[in-house]
Amino acid sequence: MLPWNYGFEWNASHVIFLGAFYTVLVVLATTVLHAMWRSRRDLRQRKTEEIRWESDFHDLPSRDRVCRHALTGEFGSRECPHGFDCRKCETHARRWIETDAPARGAEEEEIFGMAFPLDRFYHRGHTWARPEADGTVTVGLDELGQRLLGVPDAVDLPEPGARVRVNGTAFRIKKRGADVRVLSPVDGEVVERGGEGQGWYLKVKPESHGEPGFGHLLRGAEVRPWLLREMERLQLALTAEGAAATLADGGVPVADIAASYPEADWDGVCGEMFLEP
Amino acid sequence: MDKEFIARGAKRCPGGKFLLWLLPWALLLGFGLYAAGLCLVLGLNQTNMDNRFAFGLWIFLDLTIIAFGAGAFFTGFLLYILKIGELKAVINSAVAIGLVCYSGAIAVLMVDVGQPLRAWFTFWYPNVHSMLTEVTFCLSCYLTVLAIEYLPIVLKNRRLREVPSMLVFEHELHKLIYVLAGVGTFLSFFHQGSLGGLYGVLRGRPFAFREGLAVWPSTFFLFILSAAAVGPSFILLTTWMAEKISRKKLVRPEVLRLLGRISGLLLAVYVLAKTLDTLLWLNRTSPERGFPAWQYYSWRPFGTWILFAEIVLFGVLPALVLLTPRLRARTGWLVSAAAMACCGVALNRFVMTVQTLALPTLSFDRFLSYYPSWQEVGTFLAVVAYGVLVYSFSFRYLPLFPEERELKVEALAEEEELAAAGRY
Repeated sequence: MLPWNYGFEWNASHVIFLGAFYTVLVVLATTVLHAMWRSRRDLRQRKTEEIRWESDFHDLPSRDRVCRHALTGEFGSRECPHGFDCRKCETHARRWIETDAPARGAEEEEIFGMAFPLDRFYHRGHTWARPEADGTVTVGLDELGQRLLGVPDAVDLPEPGARVRVNGTAFRIKKRGADVRVLSPVDGEVVERGGEGQGWYLKVKPESHGEPGFGHLLRGAEVRPWLLREMERLQLALTAEGAAATLADGGVPVADIAASYPEADWDGVCGEMFLEP
Repeated sequence: MDKEFIARGAKRCPGGKFLLWLLPWALLLGFGLYAAGLCLVLGLNQTNMDNRFAFGLWIFLDLTIIAFGAGAFFTGFLLYILKIGELKAVINSAVAIGLVCYSGAIAVLMVDVGQPLRAWFTFWYPNVHSMLTEVTFCLSCYLTVLAIEYLPIVLKNRRLREVPSMLVFEHELHKLIYVLAGVGTFLSFFHQGSLGGLYGVLRGRPFAFREGLAVWPSTFFLFILSAAAVGPSFILLTTWMAEKISRKKLVRPEVLRLLGRISGLLLAVYVLAKTLDTLLWLNRTSPERGFPAWQYYSWRPFGTWILFAEIVLFGVLPALVLLTPRLRARTGWLVSAAAMACCGVALNRFVMTVQTLALPTLSFDRFLSYYPSWQEVGTFLAVVAYGVLVYSFSFRYLPLFPEERELKVEALAEEEELAAAGRY
């Protein structure tokens, strides 16, 4: 049948069958080899974190991929098509006049007893980024993130000199069986490491080319509607992961939420809230 | 103990309970492997097949599970080529089922053919006049496609995703999945057809022989149609069973209804084609070869009831149920109709395999009865056990139903809304 073996003849039926068979084999081999080649290229170009987020974002339920402009009520409903990176979004660019520096000395939002200072930008994965006078950016966990993780069991911070990327892993925190990867709000190089006691985790020197862009992060009037939605998500996540009825109207989250729900699967709750499905 | 391998937020039973569920299937698999081992070591004298009854339980099983496994290629075709996005909810499960069905079928074929160490002969010394050659080539190629399609699902496992090279490879392979879906559709169409064609070209067996188009007898097309029709029904059935056994909502009811509608539509086309084909065969093909068709049905137990059951009871009836929106909306009807459609195709494969060989064709022939030996039954059960085991592991550790968690949260949100409405 095959040209080099028993019984093969150069006639139409043999050639068509053989051609189809070989085409299939070639397509399969090419597909796998192409995927391997692209994977190798991605690894060399250090795209792992970008791909991890792309994959995670794709796996998020649609209700968690809501556009920031839908949160503020500008749209009835809209899913973010850019993985929460509004720097690529034309719709956002049309609706937003970017100001990279939030108003200094601005007040703070108090939502459910939690303080959200408005001198910084907020990432949907519960981190904040505050531009400093020396050109660096301080990165920390917002108050809801802090209350979710309470006193961490372990914190794994990147070494100074390491690079972090927007929506890539900034650092990892372990808490009661949950190994949480916390998303970075900025691109840049880590210059200093903080910790839970210092109120911040990383100081990052933004990417050298151009001014650091914060257009993809939430700010000012966007923080309240986002947080209100996050509280709803938390309520659902807690119930889904086996906690009893939660957050009576008017109540505020305790300082260490994990400790208050020993029966809940904390890994599941943190996965939901820190956007890691 | 295995929590870190289970998808985040997915609730699975404790490890001990899972092992308890696996135990009987593992024992059954062990028993089946022993039976298959006997057949491989001692030969086909361990079976009740002979030179006349060369196809038995195993070939019936092969044809049936390959038809059921068609859900994998057909769902892939609908999702990736025709872009019916709702089917994303069941595609991973469909691929797992396809892999189980095809690998199980090939394993049984290996036992049936024997001499596994010479399996490569089929590629090196193929019989160019045999449709079985096309079947072998297509089956092995499509199993490779399914294995490659299954790979990204395995690499989605929570622990494996932690390895950067695996995460990246899964991502890149998934981007090319539409190529695999296209190749799978091409291969699956051809080998489903070839399996049907195998019977349609049996000139010495007028019960199975059919006229057709060019070199393809009508059974070539009927097998493709019936497999495409029953594939979505089998996915529907297995999803429903997985929901019942795990006591979890895994997909939206609309997805099951969509599968039912697709299956019903194709089943209606199949039943129509099958009816026309049967009428043509009864009134022309068979009489022209000197065999009045009524005589095939005078051999008990294969009376005309089997024709009625195949076309009306398990064909027209489920097609009507699946095509009626009001009935389709009720889970009981939907699932029963899907099960009936599966029974219909299984019965068709039984008729083509067992009834064809049981009927006498020469004047000195006699009607043959065939009962599988325990070794044949054991091997059959091994495939069933293997399927349950692979699917159980896949369900526990892989994201077979990606909307599972979302559905759970949505249900809770609805409950909370209702509770809130009650409060105020």
